[in-house]
Amino acid sequence: MASIDSKDIHKIIVACDAGMGSSVMLASQLRKQLKGTGVTVEHTPVNEIPADADVVVCHSGLAARARVSAPDKVLVPFQIFLGDPAVTKLVATIKNGGTVDA
Amino acid sequence: MRDNLLDPRAVLLHESAADRDEAIRRCGRALVDVGAVAEPYIDAMLEREQSISTYVGEGVAIPHGTAAAKEVVRHDAICVVRFPGGVDWGGEPVTLCVGIAAKDDGHVQLLAALADILLDPERARTLREATEVGQVMKELT
Repeated sequence: MASIDSKDIHKIIVACDAGMGSSVMLASQLRKQLKGTGVTVEHTPVNEIPADADVVVCHSGLAARARVSAPDKVLVPFQIFLGDPAVTKLVATIKNGGTVDA
Repeated sequence: MRDNLLDPRAVLLHESAADRDEAIRRCGRALVDVGAVAEPYIDAMLEREQSISTYVGEGVAIPHGTAAAKEVVRHDAICVVRFPGGVDWGGEPVTLCVGIAAKDDGHVQLLAALADILLDPERARTLREATEVGQVMKELT
């Protein structure tokens, strides 16, 4: 199981099916929440996750495809597009330090 | 914001739909009517919804097409379609749809604004209960 220390997180990818709707929305929120931390947030289709991504955030319904597309990345699946506990925890870990597990 | 992103003619506040598919078709039709997408985009919106619900919370869904359907998007656009009677969205009651057509990132700012609104229950309620096109334009842009 992949895991990463918060200080090694530089780029988060919000992966989505079409990359035009909910992932855009979540990426904008994450960007705002992580402002000042130096972590960049981008959104891409699930089959185009870039190699330099440190953490991949995606809807649980897409997690299987994300694992195929980026098998070595730490994956944070969520259920709710806005205000999901998994995403809140990720933000808190990045800000306070700690380890993010896949 | 780009002038033609949210066309006031694509703000429909007194619609009704029997079910989710009908609501999505209504959104798709609004995007077709303002020239943002070609007809096949509507089916792509229905297809996209089958994979993962576009419900985002606070009674709002953001139906949109698939990655493949970007080919039939003529320009980035949003429609706002309100269903005062509510629509059952896979178990969630939806009263407002923000339909999206995008091939570029022209709509990103508007979606960010929408996310801010939805995280504030008061503002979300104002948007859900808007009865004037001007109110919606003001909230979102």
